[in-house]
Amino acid sequence: MHDRRFRFGVACSKGRSRQEFTELARKAESLGYSTLFVPDHFVDHDLAPTVALAHAAAVTDDLRVGTFVLGNDYKHPVVLARELATLDLLSDGRLELGIGAGWMTADYEKAGIPLDRPGVRIARLAEAITIIKGLFAPGPFTFHGEHYRVTDLDGMPKPVQQPVPFFVGGGAPKILALAAREAQIVGVNANLRSGDGTSPDAARSMTPEATDQKIGWVRDAARDRFDDLELQALVGFVYVTDDAKRILEGIADAFGVSVDDARVAPPCLVGTEDEIVASLEERRERWQMSYHVIDDGSIDTFAPIVARLAGK
Amino acid sequence: MKPFRFGVQVSQVGSASEWRDKARKLEDLGFSTLFMPDHFGQELAPLPAIAMAAAHTTTLRVGSLVFDNDYKHPAILAKEAATIDLLSDGRLELGLGAGWMRTDYDQLGLPYDPPAVRVDRFEEALHVIKQCFTGEQFTYHGEHYRITDYASWPEPVQQPRPPLLIGGGGKRVLSIAAREADIVGINPNLRAGEIGLEAAKDSLREQTDRKVQWIRDAAGDRIDEIEIQMRFFITSVRPDRMKLAEALAPTFGVSPEEALESGAALVGTEDEIAEQLHRRREKWGLSYVVVGDDNVDEFAPIVAKLAGT
Repeated sequence: MHDRRFRFGVACSKGRSRQEFTELARKAESLGYSTLFVPDHFVDHDLAPTVALAHAAAVTDDLRVGTFVLGNDYKHPVVLARELATLDLLSDGRLELGIGAGWMTADYEKAGIPLDRPGVRIARLAEAITIIKGLFAPGPFTFHGEHYRVTDLDGMPKPVQQPVPFFVGGGAPKILALAAREAQIVGVNANLRSGDGTSPDAARSMTPEATDQKIGWVRDAARDRFDDLELQALVGFVYVTDDAKRILEGIADAFGVSVDDARVAPPCLVGTEDEIVASLEERRERWQMSYHVIDDGSIDTFAPIVARLAGK
Repeated sequence: MKPFRFGVQVSQVGSASEWRDKARKLEDLGFSTLFMPDHFGQELAPLPAIAMAAAHTTTLRVGSLVFDNDYKHPAILAKEAATIDLLSDGRLELGLGAGWMRTDYDQLGLPYDPPAVRVDRFEEALHVIKQCFTGEQFTYHGEHYRITDYASWPEPVQQPRPPLLIGGGGKRVLSIAAREADIVGINPNLRAGEIGLEAAKDSLREQTDRKVQWIRDAAGDRIDEIEIQMRFFITSVRPDRMKLAEALAPTFGVSPEEALESGAALVGTEDEIAEQLHRRREKWGLSYVVVGDDNVDEFAPIVAKLAGT
């Protein structure tokens, strides 16, 4: 059973040099963040995740490192499995393996990778997760699926963590059900069916009521696993401020949701330190959500809250 | 004539601390570069491992020997390579090949296309990767890859790009390498899909002479910019080299003297090996010497003597 203690991650969007990225990783560690996450897109200015996380792990001692999240369609799962097992081995077991079905239309178009309909991408992701887990386990592995064919392969190296925590996030029933069955960490995210993370459709899928519904989907699919799952949210809007109202009105206006919804929505943490702490406790109460990931731009302003809640 | 430098190809590591110590040791001993292969047997994945080796060191160069083009989309590989180059402050050497190891393809369920197709695809990938390294937006619609309005990020620290290392044993790949690469690796011809007797025989002196000629013919004026590299598989620092040569000779089907001159062998006392390397540099232009992980200690005095000269 998961203890629901709070922990916090930092999603990296910076890292313009060896020095800057090294300092970011060490700072995240020293401020008490649990995990540094690196996203996986072509079109944004992101570092390549497996490489960047390897560097981050090498320059820290305890910081966990996570992919946020790997687009399954970008690499063959056998290639991914080996890179991730290597990362886990050489970080002494600090990997969190975030993987998703792939969604960002621009990535696919620019790189000339076929963008199949969501159902196909999710089915392929499910196969990939089976393969990666199979290669992490002892002994040779064979899998002949719809999308991949792996024959008699003993995945090397084996990861240190048994099991490596998988992180799967999403905003729609199919993907959340897959997460509930396969992952240790479930990300309760926006619905990204539009292919655009900032669309009104994505924003409306993040209201508290929509979140209730998602947690319900997770619970239904997880059955008796639900208590073992760690539930995570990506908090894109962190404002430590005495004037929450003004900021929340701006967010509400921009995304077409009510101010009250914006106040409680998982992607928003707006208010004084005390208000944010209270809000995080409410979210844990209501949704069992205990793992929150902020953008690296907020690493300092959010640090006092991490100091108060991490491990509590 | 290029100064000598030395690389070590490492494929297995037990733990995080062992890896850190190994990288630092190679740096301390004066080796230029830590290379990792890219296969699906006992080997670690090269990318995260060399990224970590670079993080643990300050001057050691890190590289792939070599990435198999068929395992990844070239735009992804380019981004990963540029990220290593950025986070290592410009210490990547990007080794690329068209792919050859049959067992990898079978185990992954990847089609093992005829060599000509793999090499065609490889040439397209090279074009894509070079474009990615410019950081400029580009479009490329080839037979195998379709890139549209894409600008890769980050830009590598080394400009115009991290050194490209292309190795091969056949005329076509070596000619591509001579035209496109900064480092040309002379390998046995691996058309059989495995390292066996055919590959061993293809590394004899006469065959190596011929490969060097292909490189010179294709390189033209570029020849002076290119570093020639060889990965030595039969390596031993020892006093009685003829004894080993006599044992090897029947396998190659040549005399013991000829076995010693094989492009895959580096056997003898420290002085004999140094003399042999000088001769090979004179004759083949070979200046970049790569040995295996097991040879690090015995080769350290040779590295101390020759590196940078």
